[in-house]
Amino acid sequence: MVRPSFALLRSAASTGFAKSLSEILVCPLSKQPLRFCEETNSLVSDAIGVSFPIKNGIPCLVLKDGKILGSDDDDDRTKSNDGSGPAPGNRAS
Amino acid sequence: MRTAARSLSLLSGGSTGRGWSLSLFVRGASEASEGSRLCFSTDGGDGSRVKIFDRDLKRKQRDRAAWLMRPSDCFVDSVAENLLDRLEDCKKTFPTALCLGGSLEAVRRLLRGRGAIEKLIMMDMSCDMIQQCKEREQDKSDKNIETLHVVGDEEFLPMKESSLDLVLSCLGLHWTNDLPGAMIQCKLALKPDGLFLAAILGGETLKELRIACTIAQMEREGGISPRVSPLAQVRDAGNLLTRAGFSLPGVDVDEYVVRYKSALELIEHLRAMGETNALLQRVPILKRDTALATAAIYESMFAAEDGTIPATFQVIYMTGWKEHPSQPKAKQRGSATISFKDIQNQFGNGS
Repeated sequence: MVRPSFALLRSAASTGFAKSLSEILVCPLSKQPLRFCEETNSLVSDAIGVSFPIKNGIPCLVLKDGKILGSDDDDDRTKSNDGSGPAPGNRAS
Repeated sequence: MRTAARSLSLLSGGSTGRGWSLSLFVRGASEASEGSRLCFSTDGGDGSRVKIFDRDLKRKQRDRAAWLMRPSDCFVDSVAENLLDRLEDCKKTFPTALCLGGSLEAVRRLLRGRGAIEKLIMMDMSCDMIQQCKEREQDKSDKNIETLHVVGDEEFLPMKESSLDLVLSCLGLHWTNDLPGAMIQCKLALKPDGLFLAAILGGETLKELRIACTIAQMEREGGISPRVSPLAQVRDAGNLLTRAGFSLPGVDVDEYVVRYKSALELIEHLRAMGETNALLQRVPILKRDTALATAAIYESMFAAEDGTIPATFQVIYMTGWKEHPSQPKAKQRGSATISFKDIQNQFGNGS
């Protein structure tokens, strides 16, 4: 019951933000493009290996809010998303 | 008496117990982010960058300001209006604009289609502030502007190179530790011939409060600590623009005197603007009698005849363009073909 509604919320939040902003936003530190990760609903900077959360469709690109993608499950989730072939337009470049 | 002391301490002492415990909580709760901060921040280790302001505290103060914000604030509105008025002087249009922290809400409300902005990105450090802006967006009359919201830090601007036509900052940049750095990042994000427009508070701001705080502290505690933050001087502003590499730099200054019923109302106003003390070197405790003495000294030294007290706000407006071949430029040294003597002969004979 809960799962589908969550998925709906997520997709709504992501489509609300993604298109026009992802063209302009870059990693605050390295100024490299960000990749949108649908699964964790976050923006990932591959250059420095940090993911920035998206709250209510508002990306939080403050360094303190960023999470380092380390050995924990975060990393695995983004990788699996990457491996399974992200949908076109998924990459923010 | 009690409320009086508390509101003053919130201005000048910054966070007393509350701020500290909050920041401790944040660090304790998210060890990962603390670790990440240490790993990828450029300022760690060598200590080459000077830290003056506590940016985390400022973020919390801006969160609080989001809830205290007044529906329309005279001072903020007139600064925003003055800043936006400059857009009307430009023939150029600005399809993509970035609006940086400070008084976002006033800028959005007073924009009224100026500069022919099609896409407006609102950025602030505080999540709550941005959230409120987004909620208020729904009842705006001019819906043809596509407004986007981002939480970001001016010191680490997350904008792509050459992607913006206009960067606006209304009363926010004076809280950055590295103002030249922030301005250089703004310039990088601008397209060629893009405009940088900023209003910051200048060194004369709150001089009355500065004096009152110093006297009260000397009198009650036998020493002084920084209560009002150091601010850029007018002469620095021009240098800042040149150092950041903007062409056609322009600086002008405006002084506003706001009148309050009492010193405590001034503090309330500062809190609502998120302009309270966020110095790293602040003393986190402000004794109640010092706070009350400050208010009393303020009133006895500066009060007008009608009982109101004035507070000076000096606002520095900075204008700069990113270089573009179409802009007027000085010719290269030694490239002149006419002697000044000839010019004098031609035009200067009359005088």
